[in-house]
Amino acid sequence: MSLAIETEKLTKAYGRKARGIEDVDLAVEEGEIFGFLGPNGAGKTTTVRTLLGFLRPTSGRGEVFGLDIRKSSVEIRARVGNLPGEFALEDKMTGEGLLKYFARLRGVGDLGYAHEISERLGAELHRPMRRLSRGNKQKIGLVQAMFHRPPLLMFDEPTSGLDPLVQEEFLDIIEEMKAEGRTVFFSSHNLAEVERVCDRVGIIRGGRLAAVETTATLVDKSFRHVVLTFAEDVDKEPFEALPGVKNLRGDGKRISFTLYDDLDEMVKLAAGHRLVNMEYERPSLEEVFLTYYERENGEER
Amino acid sequence: MSVVMDRGEKGTHTARPWGTLFALVSHTIRMQLRSVVIWGAALGLYSAAMVASFTAIEGSAAQLNQLMEAYPKGMLEAFGVTDLGDPANYMHSQVFGLAPLALAFFPILALANAIAGAEERGTIDVLLGNPLPRWQIVLGNFIAVAVSLLEICAVVGLLTWGAAVLFDVELSLREVTDAVLNLWPICIVFGALALLCSALFHRRSLAISIPAFLLFGMYLMDTIGRVSEDLEDWRPISVFKYYGSAIEHGMDWTHFGSITLVALALVLLAALVFRRRDIYT
Repeated sequence: MSLAIETEKLTKAYGRKARGIEDVDLAVEEGEIFGFLGPNGAGKTTTVRTLLGFLRPTSGRGEVFGLDIRKSSVEIRARVGNLPGEFALEDKMTGEGLLKYFARLRGVGDLGYAHEISERLGAELHRPMRRLSRGNKQKIGLVQAMFHRPPLLMFDEPTSGLDPLVQEEFLDIIEEMKAEGRTVFFSSHNLAEVERVCDRVGIIRGGRLAAVETTATLVDKSFRHVVLTFAEDVDKEPFEALPGVKNLRGDGKRISFTLYDDLDEMVKLAAGHRLVNMEYERPSLEEVFLTYYERENGEER
Repeated sequence: MSVVMDRGEKGTHTARPWGTLFALVSHTIRMQLRSVVIWGAALGLYSAAMVASFTAIEGSAAQLNQLMEAYPKGMLEAFGVTDLGDPANYMHSQVFGLAPLALAFFPILALANAIAGAEERGTIDVLLGNPLPRWQIVLGNFIAVAVSLLEICAVVGLLTWGAAVLFDVELSLREVTDAVLNLWPICIVFGALALLCSALFHRRSLAISIPAFLLFGMYLMDTIGRVSEDLEDWRPISVFKYYGSAIEHGMDWTHFGSITLVALALVLLAALVFRRRDIYT
C-alpha cells in the first residue's frame, strides 16, 4: 500500500529555548486513520505544521503523497484538509463567507457537501465568528477542513469544545471518510475517541516518536487490571511475589492488582484456592498512554 | 459512496494560480470596505471643511498674507505657505501637505496585519491551509490595500471637489484629482515597508512602529531640511522631497513612478523574505 505521509529523521529545532521534533520517522498508509498522541509541547503540532510547510525542517525529509514537503508545499496543501489546534478566524467573517472564500481558493464549485456536513454537525454558518461559542467555531473549523473532500485530513484536537452528540456525529463522518479511502491524521487528547476510530497510533514524547502500533496491539501488549474474589480468605503475599504484579491490594477474600506479565502463573496460583470470580480487564488507551509518560519521568513499572 | 484515492490526486480540487490571487485580492478588498468608508469620510470631511473655511478667510487673505510675512520665510516654505488667497495653496498648506502623515497609517496598519498580525491572531494557519503560494499572500494583500487606498483617495477627492462646487471655491476637478492621486504613492510606500517588516518579523507592533518612525522622521528631515543648510543634503533620502504640491503645480509623474517603484521593490523583498521563513502562531 502507498504511503500518505512518510518522514525520515524529520527534525525541527526552534533554538535553545523551545523543543521541536527530532528524528521523527513516520509512515502513514493511504486509507488509514492514524492517531497521533502526546501531551502539550510533545511535538504533535510541530510535526503537522512542518508537514504542511508552515515550518521549515532543520534536517531530515518528509513526503506527503510522494511530494517533498520542502519543494511542493502548495501541491500538498491542495490534497490536505487541515484543522489547526488553535483554530482562529477573522471576527467579521461568517462561516458561509469563509466557505465561499475557501471554495474559490480551492476551485470548488459546489458547496453541497459543505452544507450537508454543516447540517450534520449543527454548524451556524450565518453568524459572524465573534458571536459564536468556542464549540460553534470548532464546527466551522471542521467543515472548512472537510468540505472539499481532500484525500488527506489532518485534525489537531478535532472534538475540543464539541458536545458529546456532535462528537459522535463527527466520529461517524470520520468513519465514512475511511470507507471512502481517505486518510486521516488525527491528533487528540481524547484517547477514548482515538481508540474508537484509529487503526494505528503513534506516541510522541519529548519531540521523539516513542511508539507506533496498531491501537489493538498497543493495548494488548500492555498490562491488565485483575480482581480475584475467593470463597475464603487467602494470603496475598504469594500473589505479590509473582513476576509483573504491581499495586496489589487485598482484604482477605478479594485481591486486586495490575499484571504486567504473563497470566499463566497467576492463574495457576489462583487455582489453588476456591475462586468465586475473576475480573480481567484490558486498560484504556489512556492508561497505556500514561504509562509511556511515567516511564519518561523515570517511574518505570 | 466509495471513492478510491490514487496517490492523493482524486478528489483534489485546484484553482488556477491567478484564480487564487484574484480570490485573495477581491476578498481582502471586501473586508477592507468599512475601513475605506471610515478613512475616506474622516479625511474627506476634514478636507471639505477646509474648503468651506476658505470662503471665510478669502476676503481677508491680503491681511493674512501680510501677517504671515512676519514669520521667517523658511518656516513658511517648510509648511508650503506662499499665498493664502490662492485656494490651491491654502488646501495644500492646510490639508494635502500634512495628509500623508495620517493617511499612510491606513496601508501601514492593513499591511502590518497581513502577515505578522495574522500570525498573532492565529488566523494565518487556516488561510495557509489552502493551496496558496506565500508570494500570493504578500502580493495579494499589497494589491488589495493599494486598491483600497485609491478608493479612499477617490472619496477624499469627491468630498473636496463637491465642497468646492458647493461653496463656489475656485478648485478644478483636475487640481483636486492631482492632489489626491499624489497621496497614493507616498502612502503606499510606507505600507510596503510595513509589509516587509510584517514578513521579516513575527510582531505586528514592529511592523507598525518602524514605518511610522520613518514616516515622521522623513517628514521632519524634509521640513527642517528646507530651512536648515545642515540638513539640506539629507533631503534626497526623504520621500517627502519628491511629494511636492500637485494641487498647485500638477502631478509630477516621474516622482509618482519612482516612489511606486520603490514600493514595488519593497514588496518583492517582502515576498522573498516571507517565502523562506517559519510561520509562528
